[in-house]
This record gives sequence, C-alpha cells and structure tokens, in this order.
Amino acid sequence: MTMPRTPSRNSEALIAELVGGLEPVKPLRFGTGMALTLIAAAAATVLVVAMYGLRADLAAGRFDPMHLVSTGLFLGLGLAASFAVIVMSRPLVGNEHGGWRWAAGMAGALPLAALIIGLSRGGDTIPLHLANHGVQCFTVGAAASLIVFAALVMWLRRGAPTAPDRAGLVAGIAAGAFGTFAFALHCPDNDIVHIGLWHSAPVFAMALLGRAIVPRLIRW
Amino acid sequence: MRADEATLARLMALSQAGDRQAYATLLESCQRWLRGYYSRRIAPAQLDDLVQETLIALHTKRASWDPARPFLPWLAAIARYRWVDHLRRLYRADAQELHEELIGTDDEPAIAARISLDRLLGLLPPAQERVIALVKIEGLSIAEASAATGQSEALVKVNIHRGLKKLAHMIEKE
Repeated sequence: MTMPRTPSRNSEALIAELVGGLEPVKPLRFGTGMALTLIAAAAATVLVVAMYGLRADLAAGRFDPMHLVSTGLFLGLGLAASFAVIVMSRPLVGNEHGGWRWAAGMAGALPLAALIIGLSRGGDTIPLHLANHGVQCFTVGAAASLIVFAALVMWLRRGAPTAPDRAGLVAGIAAGAFGTFAFALHCPDNDIVHIGLWHSAPVFAMALLGRAIVPRLIRW
Repeated sequence: MRADEATLARLMALSQAGDRQAYATLLESCQRWLRGYYSRRIAPAQLDDLVQETLIALHTKRASWDPARPFLPWLAAIARYRWVDHLRRLYRADAQELHEELIGTDDEPAIAARISLDRLLGLLPPAQERVIALVKIEGLSIAEASAATGQSEALVKVNIHRGLKKLAHMIEKE
C-alpha cells in the first residue's frame, strides 16, 4: 500500500488559517428550517387575512368543496416544496428531495382543469370584473409569497445547496403556493377556471422568479 | 489518523462547537481523504488547488452538516460540487499525466463506492462521460478527444457541455 502524498506547505498554511478563524456554529437543523418557513407562511397568511378579511363562508363556519380541495392542494404543494428546499440546503450524497414533484403534479390538475373547462365554455365566459378580481388574486398572492420566498432564500444562503438553480425554482414554487394559499382564504370565487388560472399564476411566476434570481444569491 | 466515518463525525461535531484542536485534526484528515477522493479525476497539477478550494468550502459551509447525519456523504457532496465547478471552469489541463499512487480511502468500501466520483461520472451516457474524462480530466484538446473517440469536434463540445450540466444536477445522487 502506498502512503498518501505529503501535504504541501500551502495546504498547511491554509489549514492553520482556517483553524485560526474557527468560530462555533449552530448546525442547520431540518426542524428549524421548516419552522422558519412555516412562521413566514403563517405571517403571510395573517397579514393577508388582516388586510382583506376572511371569505364570508369561512367566517360563518361553512365550507365549499372546490375551495377546500384547491386550497388544500396549494397548501400541500407549499409544504412539500418547502420540505425539499430545506433538504436541499444541507448537502449529502444520497439526499432525496424529489417529493415536491408529486405535489406539483397534483396541484397541476387545477390549471389543467381550468383550461379544459374554460375551453369547453368558450372564450366569452370571463367578464371583465372577474378578470380584474383575478389580477388582484395574482398580485396579492405573489406579494404575500415574497415573505416565504425571503425566508427560504435566507435559509439556502446559510446552507450549501448543490443544485442552486433547482433550489431556486423549488423555493419559488413553495413561496408562490403559500402566497396563493393565503389569498385563497379571502378570495370568494369557487370557479375552477378562476382558481386554475389566477390562483396558479403566483406559483408559476414565483417559480420563474426563483429560477432566475435565486441561483446567483445562493451559489457558493 | 484514519479517515473513518465515526472519527470524522466526532471531530466535526467538536469543530462546530469551536474546538480548534479537533478542527486542525479534522482538516488534516479531510485533506488526505480529498486527495484520495479526487485522485485520477483531476489533473495532478490542479489537485492542490481543488483540495484547498474544498477545504475552504468545508470551512464556510460547516454549519450545513447535521451531527445526526453521516459525515463522509456530506463531505463528498461538497467535494463533488467543487469538482464539477472546477471542471466547468477548466478549459485545458496543463498536465496530462495521472498519478496512480493516489488511491481513494477504502476504510469503508461500501460507503466509498456510493459517494465516489466514478459513481457520479458513471451516471452519464458513455459518450459524455468519455469526452469529459479525456478533455476535462486528462487534459486532451478538443481535436485530440475527437480523434480518440470518433466524435466530431462539435459533438465533443456539445457532449462536454451537456455532461457537465447533468453532473451539476446529480451531485447528491448515489
């Protein structure tokens, strides 16, 4: 068996320098990352509800099936994507963080259904005032998602994601899904075309934003 | 010191708590481990640079290791990330000779095999793996790699580009 090569002087100097600069660090815990994300999501939700109010039926303790299912799908997507982002922040050969794809596939049924139903109704079934309301769902949902987005990016910067572009994409999806969840607690519209189009839009927009800007913020 | 999983994990936990003596021992061990890990997967002239870059990454990202999880797969993920980044930045290696004396540590062969660079490269289609090995690791020119593989020069470039992109997305794969 051969002996390992003697370390170069440069490496020794580097090691001495790194040892000299050692400060205690707190390991990044999965639970802490998830807690931070959920606190950000809760803050976004509380803020939106405080500003715009709860849907009348929710406030009265009544529930609409379409609203429950669609809101639940976005919440599930937000949780699954956040889970993946927190896992990605801590590198490990053998890491598994593909579960968000299943949640995204399920939530993807909403825009798909919206497309099918919208086409089957014809193009003149969305009055202008509903389109304006849709724009509000999009803008407020996307704005609310920025709180979660900031929390996830901060966490990723502390960590060491080995696929920064994917981490940025998934962080955007997580943030967008939580933002849409928050505004869905206010939005009174139960129409699948509205939900599939305008409530999915923040997720797509934030995914694009995350993919575009996050990698340069978290590359190491 | 043997670079075994349990010892390294213990040293790393102490290092996260600020124990400089443990950290010095850890970095020395990691340096040796990394030299073995990168052996034959980087031109010898670049080995020192890559090992040092990885030690710096270990230092700056040391909080990303969770004491509840194994150490070597964490170090390997960091090493793979730096390696792929290094290959992407590299246009032509200065030296073509490979050091045969540097052989990966195999205290725990099963772990070593799962986290190795060979395993990562093996996930690529053979045509991409071959040209990356020839050009980025052994230091051949595009023309030489083209002659050696029968791929056109344009295809060599495309395969290198696509292969490195894929590697960057598979760093944590076993």
